[in-house]
Amino acid sequence: MKYLLRITLLSLLVGVSCTDLDENLRGDLAEDPGAPNNPGFGISENVNGSIPNDGLNAAYSRVLSGTAWHGSYFSVSEISTDEAVITQKGGDWFDGGIWLNMHRHDFLPTNPGLNGAWNDTYGGVTEANTLLASGTLDANQTAQLRVLRAFFYWKLMDLFGRIKIVTTPGVDAPQVDRPVVFQWIVDEINASIPDLATSNGYSRVNVYVAHALLSRLYLNAEVYTRPYPYVAGTGNATDPNGDNYYQLAIDHADIIINSGVYDLADNFDDVFGPKNVESIEHIFVAPFDEKTGGGMNFAQMTLHYPSQLTWDLAEQPWNGYSSLEEFYNSYDDNDLRKEAFFIAGPQTDQPDGSGNPILDVAFDKADPDGAPINYTPEINELAPNGSRQAGVRLGKFSFKLRQQNDMDNDYTLLRYAEVLMNKAEATARLNDNWSHPTTISLMNMVRARAGASAYTTLTEDEFIAERGREFFQESLRRTDLIRFDRWGDAWWEKSAHNNAYKNVMPIPLDQINATTDGSLTQHTDY
Amino acid sequence: MHSKRITQCGISNLRSYSFKLLLGFVIVALSSTLSSAQNRSTITGTVTDASDGSPLPAVNVVVKGTTVGTATSIDGTYSLSVPSDADSLQFSFLGYVTQTVAIDGRSMIDIMLQPSVEFLEDIVVVGYGAQDEKEITSSVATIGEADFNKGNVNNASELLQGKVPGLSIYNKGGDPNSTPTIRLRGISTVGDNTEPLVVIDGVIGASLDNVDPSDIASINVLKDGSAAAIYGSRGSSGVILVTTKKGEYAAGQNASENIEVTYNGYVSAATVQNRPNVMTADEYIQAGGNDLGSRTDWQDEVTRTGMSNVHNISVAGGTQSTIYRVSTNVREINGILQNSGFNQINARANISHRAFDNRLNVTLNLSATKRESSYSFAEALRYAVLYNPTAPIYFDNGDYYQAILFDNFNPVAIVEQNINDGTSKNMNFNIQGDFSITDQWSVNANFGQQFNSFLNGEFYPSTSFFRGLNENGLAARSTGEDKFTLFETYTTYRTDFGDFDITGTAGYSFQEEENEGFNLTMGNLPTDLLGYHGIRNSGDINVGGTANVRVGSYASPQERIIAYFGRVNLNWKDAVFFNASLRQEGSTKLGEDNKWGLFPALGLGTDVTSFIGNDLFTQLKVRLGYGVTGALPSSSGLSKTIYGYSFSGTGSFDAVSEANPDLKWEEKAETNLGIDFGLMDDKLTGSVDVYTRNITDFILSVAIPATESVSGATSQYQNVGELKTNGLEISLNYLALQNEDMQWNTGLTFSTYKTTLEKFIAAEQMRANLGSPGQNSTSMIRVAEGEEIGQIWGPVFESVDTDGSPIMKDINGDGQLIVGQGDALADDGDFTQLGNGIPDFELGWTNTFNYQNWSLDAFFRGAFGHSLVNTFRAFYEPIDPGAINSYNRVKSDKSVDGLTVAQFSSLYVEKADFVKLDNVTLSYTFDVNENNPFKNIRVYGNIQNAFTLTNYSGIDPEPVFQDYGPIDNGGRPAATPDVLSPGIDRRYNYFTARTFTFGINLEF
Repeated sequence: MKYLLRITLLSLLVGVSCTDLDENLRGDLAEDPGAPNNPGFGISENVNGSIPNDGLNAAYSRVLSGTAWHGSYFSVSEISTDEAVITQKGGDWFDGGIWLNMHRHDFLPTNPGLNGAWNDTYGGVTEANTLLASGTLDANQTAQLRVLRAFFYWKLMDLFGRIKIVTTPGVDAPQVDRPVVFQWIVDEINASIPDLATSNGYSRVNVYVAHALLSRLYLNAEVYTRPYPYVAGTGNATDPNGDNYYQLAIDHADIIINSGVYDLADNFDDVFGPKNVESIEHIFVAPFDEKTGGGMNFAQMTLHYPSQLTWDLAEQPWNGYSSLEEFYNSYDDNDLRKEAFFIAGPQTDQPDGSGNPILDVAFDKADPDGAPINYTPEINELAPNGSRQAGVRLGKFSFKLRQQNDMDNDYTLLRYAEVLMNKAEATARLNDNWSHPTTISLMNMVRARAGASAYTTLTEDEFIAERGREFFQESLRRTDLIRFDRWGDAWWEKSAHNNAYKNVMPIPLDQINATTDGSLTQHTDY
Repeated sequence: MHSKRITQCGISNLRSYSFKLLLGFVIVALSSTLSSAQNRSTITGTVTDASDGSPLPAVNVVVKGTTVGTATSIDGTYSLSVPSDADSLQFSFLGYVTQTVAIDGRSMIDIMLQPSVEFLEDIVVVGYGAQDEKEITSSVATIGEADFNKGNVNNASELLQGKVPGLSIYNKGGDPNSTPTIRLRGISTVGDNTEPLVVIDGVIGASLDNVDPSDIASINVLKDGSAAAIYGSRGSSGVILVTTKKGEYAAGQNASENIEVTYNGYVSAATVQNRPNVMTADEYIQAGGNDLGSRTDWQDEVTRTGMSNVHNISVAGGTQSTIYRVSTNVREINGILQNSGFNQINARANISHRAFDNRLNVTLNLSATKRESSYSFAEALRYAVLYNPTAPIYFDNGDYYQAILFDNFNPVAIVEQNINDGTSKNMNFNIQGDFSITDQWSVNANFGQQFNSFLNGEFYPSTSFFRGLNENGLAARSTGEDKFTLFETYTTYRTDFGDFDITGTAGYSFQEEENEGFNLTMGNLPTDLLGYHGIRNSGDINVGGTANVRVGSYASPQERIIAYFGRVNLNWKDAVFFNASLRQEGSTKLGEDNKWGLFPALGLGTDVTSFIGNDLFTQLKVRLGYGVTGALPSSSGLSKTIYGYSFSGTGSFDAVSEANPDLKWEEKAETNLGIDFGLMDDKLTGSVDVYTRNITDFILSVAIPATESVSGATSQYQNVGELKTNGLEISLNYLALQNEDMQWNTGLTFSTYKTTLEKFIAAEQMRANLGSPGQNSTSMIRVAEGEEIGQIWGPVFESVDTDGSPIMKDINGDGQLIVGQGDALADDGDFTQLGNGIPDFELGWTNTFNYQNWSLDAFFRGAFGHSLVNTFRAFYEPIDPGAINSYNRVKSDKSVDGLTVAQFSSLYVEKADFVKLDNVTLSYTFDVNENNPFKNIRVYGNIQNAFTLTNYSGIDPEPVFQDYGPIDNGGRPAATPDVLSPGIDRRYNYFTARTFTFGINLEF
């Protein structure tokens, strides 16, 4: 008995000594399953267009990231300009002063919006790299992804200047000067054009996307090819083949114009509204959708709290973004864009202005409008006591009734009006004549759609103002102001500076800290 | 025989008779068969316990100087055939003083053995066994039932609050459904595994939720690395060993006589002890607030006196071979917030049985708990603070009043309209077998399982402005379950070499845990009448794929921990003690190449009084211990690339975390030097411990530059960082007064520590956002390599500008004021340390007065040197002409006239030193005579949180060790707290409760 027990217990001790430590995950995927089995949630009965089931979605969906949401690329591209502002409303929206700093051009490497922009955009680069390294793509798909990656790199180069050009997942690359990045982007796009189809489906890169992007790149080439400290260019700069950059901008715009594929849409709702899918004017869009393409929440970002009632919004807005009085007033009263792009004046519980006034029961006693909401162009001050109701609101990408947090509108990344304006501007610069007939006629096409009067002569001032009016809220204002050398100008609550180093934003401190080998460094002067 | 050093796992109530019995089976079975049959006489007799006269079974009876011997039988009798030349018998039994008696020709020798008092009082449960206290070389604290905190205690850890130096237990506010934060010697990791390992009756990794506080006999806390290392990976944050009450066998009684029935019950009333001080309606209007015509005290409206009652009945007893205890506990708890509380029923059975000549002891522990909780909505407390005091509760039409403002909801509507409840079930059992192969060699095996499940529901009707209104009603269900299996076996061998006694233990441990669950939230309910059960009618189902349907699901792999361990204890002449242990442990959670870790420990102790006779000291023991323990993250898959699905566009799988096959154990190496002393015949006893601990390789999610990512993920789990903590702990106990009628016993605990962050993912970093409205991107905590953790960091308030905004101080005196958050760490920034979230030291002071039948316990507790960010003040104190119409103003003596702009600064960082009378109990024990059916009757009254002395103007000055981040506008807090950001008193922290309890203890 005794021995039996001993043996039993000893064998128990040894026999059950399980040593299997394999980790067999049940609820998580440790391998990339590739494209999903049943793609196309974005396709069927959806206000979104039919996104092709091409296996490239992982990279394409990254165009949504940070493009129309608070705290990333959109915020730093808009708040640093004269077209949008976030005022400090007493205890509200101070947020450590980061948006006041952005407005005043005190750019700090600690600004979380800059880090968001960097991460969101490099995320797109990495997804494109991963797909390109998979070895399963045909020539057209490879070309699409190279141009898409070039688009992400354009954003990074335009915003940050000196960056790393990473082309293989996990293989680091040196940080190179902006002219080097510019030339690499241009070469990538040019090399891809022969393999690109004229149509690859909704929200995909086609050959015209490549040309439109090149047109934008060449128009800004003088800025992008200036080395530090970004002193003004000499004009008439040429590319390594000796071709004039402005002529190249015109040539690529002409390919699109002459193709007849695109046109200006009749009305702004087709271009920017909640159902703006596959507009004739869209060349490249970020296909936001409340179900399958989250990431646009302008309604939250700009509207005052009680405006929730106007559109029956699912969640309460934040009362953050508004436009500047001077910018709003740069539109003529008969300019259709003034009505279409802004939410101004007294507000009611109906989007069309009928119905009952909506009230801010906590209105500022110093506000002459009292409790009823009235979005006045005038803003009393930037900080610390900006009035809660002051400032016209950003309404270009208009809201639908019972709007969820994620809006349905596609965000325009490249559209036909820009191509026309690029050619108009490049022609003026090439000929050193802002009243060049081509310039005036192209610009008047854009103005005509807005119901605005035609110009007969033009100045540089009028041209940049017109670009501002047309491309408001499309994250182009910063690039334009730098190209027109007006970045250091004074505007409302922002004093003038002549610090050319501010033409690029500082490299985010978090990124410098995360790079352990010191291969990512801050720009001089930051 | 050195049977005193037998170590057994699962033995717990060490003063109990059962322990005497259990260890009594170490008999010299072999020796009895060796005696020859020459010239013999037979001696018989009975061995009894000198203290109560009960017979003692299994006592060794040996002819002195030989191996001839036997053991007493169950009735204490023995019969021994002795050689004719034998001159004396030796009687020995564990826990009793060994006696040698001359035979003097007698044939019948009856003996009374004296209990060895030292032994009975000084045995301590340690990992995989128990040890004589004097042999312990590490820092172990034992708290018995008599020392537990009293009153309405619903979580076992609260029994210990303030009693063990170095063990910080804080439960901020009076939420009956929250569990306390526990820290032993500060933080031991910045990763997941921040709370001590709990071992209940030998089952490691058990849940404190499944043991009712009434069923606990004692709790031991293994504080340093040398003690905890035997538990290897999971011992880094300390180990709490819980021993539940057991039945007893009273010798000489039969099973029906030997039964003890106890009833413990109490009723208690929880009231609001402290709440934020806000403007009255009149003050509010005076200050510029909109008068909406009503007068409402919102804080009164959402709170109440929470009446609770708790009952515990237990039946315990046993026979010579079987002891048992069964108990059941009923708790009906109501909190100070409307609709908050829980109903719980728990049952426990502990049964032990001996067989095979008492060599085998089998124990079964069973416990089951069901808790039905109503969580209510803590947010209502916050909105009750800031809601307009002139607003009515209802509109004239009977609907709840609501205003469309940011972060603004009628608090009464929140608690009355919505439902947030859940049921959790918890079941565990374990079976332990202990077999003595010889008197020196024993084997122990333990198998246990624990099951937890929960089913929660939330409902927001279509009329609820808080949540649900814009989704046409909202229903949510969530459920999950967790299964834990433990198998452990070990063997112990005892022997001696000359003056050395040696005990060796070796074993194997297998632990496996699995959990899974899902949750579902849907809107568009056609009726509010079905509550959350109406989820099946949700219109979202038909629409399909709408954004209102929110689904989550999780399933862990089989998470395994496998370990081999061994330990050697040496005892030299009961004067010098040495322990060494080694545990090799592997985990599924770590990288392919680093699954196994090695955790060694060493300990050395000596009793100085055994070398130097000293009248002053009755005891003076010096201990030195060193041990390495580990820590594991809570989630799985960290070493692998994990892919997540994104619905964007046509959908795609994206990498969310980058693989790290090198991921390895977090390790903590700790050295502890301790002194235990007794003075004046042990009237004054105490111990002092100093320690230093180095924690390396803690596991954190680290941002990896996009340029270095292989998979596309931007984060990876890595072993980064190092923490170092030095600390000092003192505990003293003094019997200040003792005479026939009166006794006063007083004790003091003191602890202090400093933790520095030696290495981190960044040289310097700001953390802990203050939040909306208006104070996002406002980080309040700085961490820096080589510096102390817990730094509250910001600009220093100086004066008020004409526009009502604060003017900060030019700290560096360079003539320019740089106070934007983006410059918090800049060289020219005007930021500085405003306080430290971690106390300089913590004190506990216990007092027990006995006067005849009366007894008074008073326990004071305090923490000193820490600061808190008073976030209520930081948002709602400045009288902002815009915001005052959205939010009522909090008042304090620290407010500044004319300040209208709320902006974080030193103004809102307050010293939070405090002393509180934490627990006071007055009890009376009735005299009972023999005819009384009751053996014991005791009644008591208790107050928890009687009063607090502090200058802190917020609700509760208790330290906050971790931060769940800001929430606003109906949002929900972060799932995992940030342990590097202590010191922030958030707006969702509960009001504190003062609880009055009246209770009765009966024993039949």
